[in-house]
Amino acid sequence: MAQPHMVPAAHDTALIAAWQAGDEQAAAELVGRHARPLARFLAGAGAPDADVDDLVQETFIRAFRGVDRFRGHCQFRTWLLTIGSNVLKDFGRRAARRKVMPLDDGVRDTTGDPHEHAEAREAEALLAAGLKQLPRLQREVFLLRAQQGLEYEEIAAALATTPGAARVHYHHAVRRLKETVK
Amino acid sequence: MNNETLENLAKRLGSNAAARLNVEATARKVVERLREQPARRTTWIHQSWLRIAAALVIVLGGAALVVRQSLVTSDAGHTAHFVADDLNDLSADELRDVLAALDEMITSDSVAVPEGSTDLHELDAQQLRAVLRSLEG
Repeated sequence: MAQPHMVPAAHDTALIAAWQAGDEQAAAELVGRHARPLARFLAGAGAPDADVDDLVQETFIRAFRGVDRFRGHCQFRTWLLTIGSNVLKDFGRRAARRKVMPLDDGVRDTTGDPHEHAEAREAEALLAAGLKQLPRLQREVFLLRAQQGLEYEEIAAALATTPGAARVHYHHAVRRLKETVK
Repeated sequence: MNNETLENLAKRLGSNAAARLNVEATARKVVERLREQPARRTTWIHQSWLRIAAALVIVLGGAALVVRQSLVTSDAGHTAHFVADDLNDLSADELRDVLAALDEMITSDSVAVPEGSTDLHELDAQQLRAVLRSLEG
Protein backbone atom coordinates (compact mmCIF):
# COMPACT_ATOMS: atom_id res chain seq x y z
CA MET A 1 0.00 0.00 0.00
CA ALA A 2 1.22 3.47 -0.84
CA GLN A 3 2.60 5.57 1.98
CA PRO A 4 3.59 8.79 0.23
CA HIS A 5 4.44 10.55 3.49
CA MET A 6 7.42 8.23 3.89
CA VAL A 7 9.31 10.03 1.15
CA PRO A 8 7.80 13.53 1.04
CA ALA A 9 10.66 15.48 -0.45
CA ALA A 10 12.13 12.87 -2.72
CA HIS A 11 12.75 13.96 -6.28
CA ASP A 12 11.18 11.94 -9.06
CA THR A 13 14.55 10.61 -10.16
CA ALA A 14 15.24 9.36 -6.62
CA LEU A 15 11.86 7.63 -6.58
CA ILE A 16 12.56 6.09 -9.99
CA ALA A 17 15.89 4.79 -8.73
CA ALA A 18 14.18 3.43 -5.63
CA TRP A 19 11.56 1.68 -7.78
CA GLN A 20 14.29 0.21 -9.94
CA ALA A 21 15.84 -1.14 -6.76
CA GLY A 22 12.54 -2.85 -5.95
CA ASP A 23 10.83 -0.28 -3.72
CA GLU A 24 7.08 -0.56 -4.38
CA GLN A 25 6.34 2.47 -2.20
CA ALA A 26 8.39 4.58 -4.56
CA ALA A 27 6.17 3.45 -7.42
CA ALA A 28 3.07 4.23 -5.39
CA GLU A 29 4.46 7.66 -4.56
CA LEU A 30 5.07 8.40 -8.23
CA VAL A 31 1.50 7.38 -9.01
CA GLY A 32 0.26 9.67 -6.24
CA ARG A 33 2.21 12.59 -7.61
CA HIS A 34 1.28 12.31 -11.23
CA ALA A 35 -2.01 10.41 -11.51
CA ARG A 36 -4.33 13.44 -11.52
CA PRO A 37 -2.39 15.52 -14.08
CA LEU A 38 -2.20 12.41 -16.21
CA ALA A 39 -5.94 11.86 -15.86
CA ARG A 40 -6.60 15.47 -16.90
CA PHE A 41 -4.29 15.08 -19.87
CA LEU A 42 -5.94 11.83 -20.98
CA ALA A 43 -9.45 13.22 -20.56
CA GLY A 44 -8.43 16.36 -22.42
CA ALA A 45 -6.98 14.29 -25.22
CA GLY A 46 -10.29 12.52 -25.68
CA ALA A 47 -10.35 9.59 -23.24
CA PRO A 48 -13.89 8.70 -22.17
CA ASP A 49 -14.33 9.59 -18.49
CA ALA A 50 -15.30 6.02 -17.64
CA ASP A 51 -12.00 4.72 -18.99
CA VAL A 52 -9.66 7.31 -17.54
CA ASP A 53 -8.89 5.21 -14.45
CA ASP A 54 -7.90 2.18 -16.52
CA LEU A 55 -5.88 4.31 -18.90
CA VAL A 56 -4.02 5.95 -16.03
CA GLN A 57 -3.15 2.54 -14.62
CA GLU A 58 -2.03 1.25 -18.00
CA THR A 59 0.12 4.32 -18.53
CA PHE A 60 1.87 3.85 -15.20
CA ILE A 61 2.37 0.15 -15.85
CA ARG A 62 3.99 0.88 -19.20
CA ALA A 63 6.08 3.65 -17.71
CA PHE A 64 7.38 1.51 -14.86
CA ARG A 65 8.05 -1.41 -17.16
CA GLY A 66 10.00 0.83 -19.53
CA VAL A 67 11.55 3.14 -16.96
CA ASP A 68 15.03 2.04 -18.06
CA ARG A 69 14.41 4.01 -21.24
CA PHE A 70 13.80 7.22 -19.31
CA ARG A 71 17.05 9.18 -19.65
CA GLY A 72 15.99 12.32 -17.84
CA HIS A 73 15.87 14.35 -21.06
CA CYS A 74 12.62 15.84 -19.75
CA GLN A 75 10.64 15.69 -16.54
CA PHE A 76 9.23 12.31 -15.52
CA ARG A 77 5.71 13.72 -15.72
CA THR A 78 6.22 14.95 -19.27
CA TRP A 79 7.58 11.56 -20.27
CA LEU A 80 4.61 9.93 -18.55
CA LEU A 81 2.17 12.12 -20.50
CA THR A 82 3.70 11.08 -23.81
CA ILE A 83 3.31 7.44 -22.77
CA GLY A 84 -0.28 8.23 -21.85
CA SER A 85 -0.79 9.61 -25.32
CA ASN A 86 0.41 6.31 -26.81
CA VAL A 87 -1.80 4.34 -24.43
CA LEU A 88 -4.77 6.45 -25.48
CA LYS A 89 -3.95 5.92 -29.15
CA ASP A 90 -3.90 2.14 -28.63
CA PHE A 91 -7.14 2.39 -26.69
CA GLY A 92 -8.70 4.31 -29.56
CA ARG A 93 -7.71 1.58 -32.00
CA ARG A 94 -9.21 -1.13 -29.81
CA ALA A 95 -12.36 0.93 -29.22
CA ALA A 96 -12.74 1.50 -32.95
CA ARG A 97 -12.63 -2.25 -33.53
CA ARG A 98 -15.18 -2.86 -30.79
CA LYS A 99 -17.22 0.24 -31.68
CA VAL A 100 -17.41 1.46 -28.08
CA MET A 101 -20.15 3.99 -27.47
CA PRO A 102 -19.12 7.46 -26.22
CA LEU A 103 -19.48 8.44 -22.61
CA ASP A 104 -23.00 8.95 -21.29
CA ASP A 105 -23.50 12.49 -20.00
CA GLY A 106 -25.24 11.04 -16.94
CA VAL A 107 -21.95 10.13 -15.33
CA ARG A 108 -20.56 13.66 -15.53
CA ASP A 109 -20.38 15.96 -12.54
CA THR A 110 -23.72 17.74 -12.01
CA THR A 111 -22.91 19.80 -8.93
CA GLY A 112 -22.93 23.61 -8.92
CA ASP A 113 -24.99 26.20 -10.81
CA PRO A 114 -26.84 24.40 -13.58
CA HIS A 115 -26.62 27.34 -16.00
CA GLU A 116 -22.90 27.97 -15.48
CA HIS A 117 -22.30 24.31 -15.52
CA ALA A 118 -24.10 23.93 -18.80
CA GLU A 119 -22.10 26.76 -20.37
CA ALA A 120 -18.83 25.37 -19.10
CA ARG A 121 -19.74 21.93 -20.31
CA GLU A 122 -20.68 23.30 -23.68
CA ALA A 123 -17.38 25.16 -24.04
CA GLU A 124 -15.43 22.15 -22.85
CA ALA A 125 -17.31 19.90 -25.22
CA LEU A 126 -16.52 22.26 -28.09
CA LEU A 127 -12.88 22.36 -27.11
CA ALA A 128 -12.76 18.60 -26.73
CA ALA A 129 -14.36 18.21 -30.15
CA GLY A 130 -11.90 20.69 -31.62
CA LEU A 131 -8.97 18.85 -30.08
CA LYS A 132 -10.12 15.60 -31.63
CA GLN A 133 -9.97 17.26 -35.04
CA LEU A 134 -6.37 18.34 -34.58
CA PRO A 135 -3.39 16.33 -35.78
CA ARG A 136 -1.98 14.33 -32.91
CA LEU A 137 1.18 16.40 -32.53
CA GLN A 138 -0.74 19.68 -32.43
CA ARG A 139 -3.14 18.23 -29.88
CA GLU A 140 -0.33 16.98 -27.66
CA VAL A 141 1.61 20.23 -27.86
CA PHE A 142 -1.52 22.24 -27.09
CA LEU A 143 -2.41 20.13 -24.05
CA LEU A 144 1.15 20.03 -22.74
CA ARG A 145 1.40 23.79 -23.10
CA ALA A 146 -2.08 25.10 -22.29
CA GLN A 147 -3.34 22.43 -19.92
CA GLN A 148 -0.13 21.26 -18.25
CA GLY A 149 1.70 24.59 -18.42
CA LEU A 150 4.97 23.22 -19.81
CA GLU A 151 7.65 25.28 -21.53
CA TYR A 152 8.33 24.75 -25.22
CA GLU A 153 11.80 23.40 -24.44
CA GLU A 154 10.31 20.73 -22.19
CA ILE A 155 7.63 19.86 -24.75
CA ALA A 156 10.22 19.65 -27.51
CA ALA A 157 12.42 17.32 -25.46
CA ALA A 158 9.50 15.02 -24.71
CA LEU A 159 8.23 14.91 -28.27
CA ALA A 160 11.65 14.73 -29.90
CA THR A 161 11.23 17.98 -31.78
CA THR A 162 12.56 21.51 -31.51
CA PRO A 163 11.15 24.30 -29.35
CA GLY A 164 10.51 26.31 -32.50
CA ALA A 165 8.54 23.49 -34.06
CA ALA A 166 6.59 23.01 -30.82
CA ARG A 167 5.76 26.71 -30.83
CA VAL A 168 4.52 26.49 -34.42
CA HIS A 169 2.37 23.44 -33.59
CA TYR A 170 0.91 25.28 -30.64
CA HIS A 171 -0.04 28.33 -32.66
CA HIS A 172 -1.58 26.21 -35.39
CA ALA A 173 -3.60 24.38 -32.74
CA VAL A 174 -4.75 27.62 -31.12
CA ARG A 175 -5.77 29.10 -34.46
CA ARG A 176 -7.82 26.04 -35.36
CA LEU A 177 -9.36 25.70 -31.89
CA LYS A 178 -10.46 29.34 -31.91
CA GLU A 179 -12.41 28.61 -35.05
CA THR A 180 -14.11 25.71 -33.30
CA VAL A 181 -14.71 27.30 -29.88
CA LYS A 182 -16.21 30.71 -30.58
CA MET B 1 -12.11 34.11 -27.99
CA ASN B 2 -8.60 35.16 -26.98
CA ASN B 3 -5.65 32.96 -26.09
CA GLU B 4 -6.10 33.40 -22.35
CA THR B 5 -9.71 32.27 -22.43
CA LEU B 6 -8.77 29.29 -24.54
CA GLU B 7 -5.94 28.33 -22.17
CA ASN B 8 -8.20 28.68 -19.14
CA LEU B 9 -10.70 26.44 -20.82
CA ALA B 10 -7.94 23.95 -21.59
CA LYS B 11 -6.85 23.97 -17.93
CA ARG B 12 -10.35 22.96 -16.88
CA LEU B 13 -10.52 20.25 -19.49
CA GLY B 14 -10.53 16.85 -17.85
CA SER B 15 -10.67 18.25 -14.33
CA ASN B 16 -13.84 16.28 -13.55
CA ALA B 17 -12.23 13.02 -14.57
CA ALA B 18 -9.15 13.87 -12.54
CA ALA B 19 -11.25 14.78 -9.51
CA ARG B 20 -13.09 11.47 -9.65
CA LEU B 21 -9.88 9.48 -9.83
CA ASN B 22 -9.17 7.55 -6.65
CA VAL B 23 -5.44 8.05 -6.55
CA GLU B 24 -4.74 5.68 -3.66
CA ALA B 25 -6.74 2.91 -5.25
CA THR B 26 -4.99 3.55 -8.56
CA ALA B 27 -1.58 3.39 -6.89
CA ARG B 28 -2.54 0.15 -5.16
CA LYS B 29 -3.75 -1.44 -8.40
CA VAL B 30 -0.64 -0.34 -10.25
CA VAL B 31 1.63 -1.81 -7.60
CA GLU B 32 -0.36 -5.05 -7.60
CA ARG B 33 -0.09 -5.32 -11.36
CA LEU B 34 3.61 -4.56 -11.19
CA ARG B 35 4.06 -7.43 -8.74
CA GLU B 36 2.57 -9.76 -11.32
CA GLN B 37 4.56 -8.13 -14.09
CA PRO B 38 8.12 -9.58 -13.73
CA ALA B 39 7.11 -13.08 -14.84
CA ARG B 40 5.25 -11.68 -17.82
CA ARG B 41 8.19 -9.50 -18.59
CA THR B 42 10.58 -12.43 -18.42
CA THR B 43 8.30 -14.39 -20.71
CA TRP B 44 8.18 -11.47 -23.08
CA ILE B 45 11.96 -11.19 -23.04
CA HIS B 46 12.33 -14.92 -23.66
CA GLN B 47 9.88 -14.77 -26.52
CA SER B 48 11.63 -11.76 -27.97
CA TRP B 49 15.04 -13.37 -27.77
CA LEU B 50 13.68 -16.54 -29.31
CA ARG B 51 12.24 -14.51 -32.19
CA ILE B 52 15.50 -12.64 -32.62
CA ALA B 53 17.48 -15.90 -32.52
CA ALA B 54 15.14 -17.51 -35.06
CA ALA B 55 15.46 -14.51 -37.33
CA LEU B 56 19.25 -14.63 -37.03
CA VAL B 57 19.31 -18.33 -37.88
CA ILE B 58 17.18 -17.70 -40.95
CA VAL B 59 19.29 -14.76 -42.08
CA LEU B 60 22.64 -16.45 -41.45
CA GLY B 61 21.45 -19.74 -42.93
CA GLY B 62 20.19 -17.95 -46.00
CA ALA B 63 23.43 -16.04 -46.32
CA ALA B 64 25.45 -19.26 -45.98
CA LEU B 65 23.36 -20.91 -48.66
CA VAL B 66 23.83 -17.98 -51.01
CA VAL B 67 27.59 -17.93 -50.45
CA ARG B 68 27.84 -21.69 -50.91
CA GLN B 69 25.76 -21.54 -54.06
CA SER B 70 27.88 -18.78 -55.48
CA LEU B 71 31.07 -20.74 -54.69
CA VAL B 72 29.70 -23.86 -56.38
CA THR B 73 28.75 -21.82 -59.42
CA SER B 74 32.19 -20.24 -59.43
CA ASP B 75 33.92 -23.64 -59.21
CA ALA B 76 31.72 -25.03 -61.94
CA GLY B 77 32.72 -22.08 -64.10
CA HIS B 78 36.40 -22.91 -63.62
CA THR B 79 35.83 -26.58 -64.42
CA ALA B 80 33.97 -25.83 -67.57
CA HIS B 81 36.49 -23.31 -68.80
CA PHE B 82 38.48 -24.38 -71.83
CA VAL B 83 41.44 -22.62 -73.35
CA ALA B 84 39.80 -23.13 -76.70
CA ASP B 85 36.99 -20.83 -75.56
CA ASP B 86 39.49 -18.01 -75.47
CA LEU B 87 40.22 -18.58 -79.15
CA ASN B 88 36.65 -17.88 -80.15
CA ASP B 89 37.24 -14.18 -80.18
CA LEU B 90 40.30 -14.37 -82.42
CA SER B 91 40.14 -13.66 -86.13
CA ALA B 92 41.63 -15.99 -88.72
CA ASP B 93 44.77 -13.84 -88.99
CA GLU B 94 45.20 -13.85 -85.24
CA LEU B 95 44.77 -17.61 -85.13
CA ARG B 96 47.42 -17.95 -87.81
CA ASP B 97 49.74 -15.81 -85.72
CA VAL B 98 49.12 -18.04 -82.68
CA LEU B 99 49.85 -21.17 -84.69
CA ALA B 100 52.94 -19.62 -86.18
CA ALA B 101 54.15 -18.69 -82.73
CA LEU B 102 53.47 -22.20 -81.54
CA ASP B 103 55.30 -23.58 -84.51
CA GLU B 104 58.17 -21.30 -83.80
CA MET B 105 58.29 -22.46 -80.20
CA ILE B 106 58.23 -26.06 -81.23
CA THR B 107 61.00 -25.61 -83.71
CA SER B 108 63.11 -23.52 -81.37
CA ASP B 109 65.94 -25.02 -79.32
CA SER B 110 64.14 -24.61 -76.04
CA VAL B 111 61.58 -27.17 -76.97
CA ALA B 112 62.62 -30.78 -76.64
CA VAL B 113 61.51 -32.01 -80.02
CA PRO B 114 62.87 -35.44 -80.74
CA GLU B 115 65.60 -35.47 -83.28
CA GLY B 116 64.57 -36.21 -86.81
CA SER B 117 60.95 -35.23 -86.23
CA THR B 118 59.54 -32.09 -87.87
CA ASP B 119 55.88 -33.04 -87.94
CA LEU B 120 53.80 -33.46 -84.77
CA HIS B 121 51.85 -36.23 -86.44
CA GLU B 122 54.97 -38.35 -86.45
CA LEU B 123 55.41 -38.12 -82.66
CA ASP B 124 54.15 -40.79 -80.33
CA ALA B 125 52.40 -40.02 -77.09
CA GLN B 126 55.54 -39.93 -74.97
CA GLN B 127 57.22 -37.54 -77.37
CA LEU B 128 54.15 -35.33 -77.48
CA ARG B 129 54.12 -35.15 -73.69
CA ALA B 130 57.76 -34.13 -73.71
CA VAL B 131 56.94 -31.36 -76.19
CA LEU B 132 54.06 -30.12 -74.06
CA ARG B 133 56.20 -30.16 -70.90
CA SER B 134 58.81 -28.08 -72.62
CA LEU B 135 56.14 -25.64 -73.74
CA GLU B 136 55.02 -25.23 -70.14
CA GLY B 137 58.55 -24.07 -69.36
